[in-house]
Amino acid sequence: MLEIVNRLLFATLDAAPALVFAALGAVLSERAGVVAVGIEGMMRVGAFCAAVAALTVPTPLAVVGGMLAGAALAAIHAYLCIRWRSDQVVSGIALNLVALAGGTFLLETHYGPNGTPPIQQLTAWDWPALSSVPLLGALSGHAAPTYLALALPFLLQALLTRTPLGLRLRAVGDKPHAVATLGLSVPALRWGAVVGGGLLAGLGGAVLSTTVLDRFEQHTPAGLGFMALAAMVFGRWTPLGAFLAAAFFAFGNALRIGLASSAPGLLELVPQGVLLALPYVLTLLVLTLQGQRSRAPAALGVPYEQESR
Amino acid sequence: MGERARQALPSVLSVALSLLVCWLLIAFTRDADGFVTATSAYLQMMWGGIGDWPNFLGGAPATVLTRPIGEAAMKAALLTLTGLSVAVAFKVGLFNIGAQGQMLLGALAAAVVGAHVQLPAALHIPAALVGAALAGAAWAGLAAALRLYRGVHEVISTIMLNWVALRLVDNWLVVGPLRGVAEAGASITGTAEIHPSAALPRLLGDVSRLNLGFPLAMLAALAVWAWLERTRSGFETRAVGLGDEAARAAGIPVARRAGLAMALAGALAGCAGAVLVLGTEGRYPGTLGAPYGFDGIAISLIGNNHPLGVAAAALFFGAIRAGGTRMQLLDVHKSFPELIQGLALLFVAGRLIWLAVLRRRRAVAPALATPTAPTPEAPRA
Repeated sequence: MLEIVNRLLFATLDAAPALVFAALGAVLSERAGVVAVGIEGMMRVGAFCAAVAALTVPTPLAVVGGMLAGAALAAIHAYLCIRWRSDQVVSGIALNLVALAGGTFLLETHYGPNGTPPIQQLTAWDWPALSSVPLLGALSGHAAPTYLALALPFLLQALLTRTPLGLRLRAVGDKPHAVATLGLSVPALRWGAVVGGGLLAGLGGAVLSTTVLDRFEQHTPAGLGFMALAAMVFGRWTPLGAFLAAAFFAFGNALRIGLASSAPGLLELVPQGVLLALPYVLTLLVLTLQGQRSRAPAALGVPYEQESR
Repeated sequence: MGERARQALPSVLSVALSLLVCWLLIAFTRDADGFVTATSAYLQMMWGGIGDWPNFLGGAPATVLTRPIGEAAMKAALLTLTGLSVAVAFKVGLFNIGAQGQMLLGALAAAVVGAHVQLPAALHIPAALVGAALAGAAWAGLAAALRLYRGVHEVISTIMLNWVALRLVDNWLVVGPLRGVAEAGASITGTAEIHPSAALPRLLGDVSRLNLGFPLAMLAALAVWAWLERTRSGFETRAVGLGDEAARAAGIPVARRAGLAMALAGALAGCAGAVLVLGTEGRYPGTLGAPYGFDGIAISLIGNNHPLGVAAAALFFGAIRAGGTRMQLLDVHKSFPELIQGLALLFVAGRLIWLAVLRRRRAVAPALATPTAPTPEAPRA
């Protein structure tokens, strides 16, 4: 029994970081008032660029490249949404479409339809002292992103709730005019949050192609960006909440895969498709129960205009 | 320049710019003769979309025209219906990202009615279409109800409902309870074949897959346009979209208008699924494959959320889609039509940039001609 729990936890810790980073990126962007529907596209370019870079440079450096690629896409989003007050959902969806078609085009013209050649994965760190301890043993044997994904939510939560910068970021998503009254630049704060969110989404994508897989594949990230949005809403737009939600989704996924392999009888009772639909149904259910009390930032999706009140 | 032309101009310019960017992209990803290849690829795309006129005039049979045009119109029908779905929701101020899921359920409903109900053709086709429309409307209505009664934002709920529909249909119903059984008793992928009485009639014989779905989609665009522009409920729907506080103050039943518009949006997307199943696929295949529902978002926005603009954008991108397969003859990648569409949407997202550029040009031109007499239309934003 303990062995099974251990394996589940291990699988969760292996799979969760991509979702956690993307969800944190979404939280950062949306707390500053800019809708993050483009997260999926940012993950995709992050995953693609990291995989391509890892063919020539050391993998850790390639991960940084993936982050920068995600940030570059986010910068387009920021330019359109902040400078030109474009509809944030439209811009995000357009970026998703471009990332999907452009990624497919670049992948297939350069590497063929089966994905990039295999790359050197990020090295897993073994902690022998931990691995013998029950339950904590699952903590050993992961690559660096897993440990970062365990720490970053707390850091980001502290940043948002305990520092002046965090207060300003949250204020810019709730009452941008109040922030402007203080002489702070609303566009600058939003730019920072959106590009920061892009860095995190790019990191999430890079994790997919450098640790979960050892290449970039046609379908990466296969809707994980939208799951990240769900995790953000599920976690009520807080870093810790999004982290817990993302971890929960990842655990559910590990559980589903584990059950499918170890208890095939269950699939007779509950069809695979129903299990696959469960996280989405659950998210809808939580949203329904939270109702109006689910607190999206007040100025989310509203372009900021100095003149308007 | 008329008001209407100025509304449409950013979209036209965006599409032109995306065509230019992709042309350059083809040209620069070639080792030699890039510009020649890119140009001939675009020519191929054109002949593949609107018919191979040079060949036809050179004496080839008429099928070199009907086949491409038929394919383009068939794709345009699907894009029109999903585009209208997104546009109608937009008119009432809701963002329907769920056209894909609604289309999935519509396709499934059409496949079930088409295969498991026995009716004469005159009744069977309408019955399957109505079934699809109801299924789509119900799925969209769920999102509308969540929005109206529980304040759940429709962008998130429709994204989630897309996934629920995909998982339940593709990973359970179609491979499980609704899986078709072939003659020899062996399972096939997808649901059972629909009865011939439910199939949409072909319009150009066996040469092309063009079917009754195309005129139906064009009729739908006209009907939605007439409804929005010429009826009271259509006017009220637009009023809600422009500002629900003001609409409520004017005595418009805001919740009912929003709910009905969203249901109509779902019905249109459901019909797209029905056209796909009844017109070309003949059953719900293992997976619906092409994301026509997501394309609908792009089509609607490029068409400026105007029913007739949507139809125009769908016709254009239908032709690009059909022609795109011919570009592959020149080793140009098949995802270029999608890339053109995505870039066009990105440029449309920058609508205000276009308007600013156009305004600057307009503001400069009269000032040079008559520096002292301001033209009356100049300050109009």
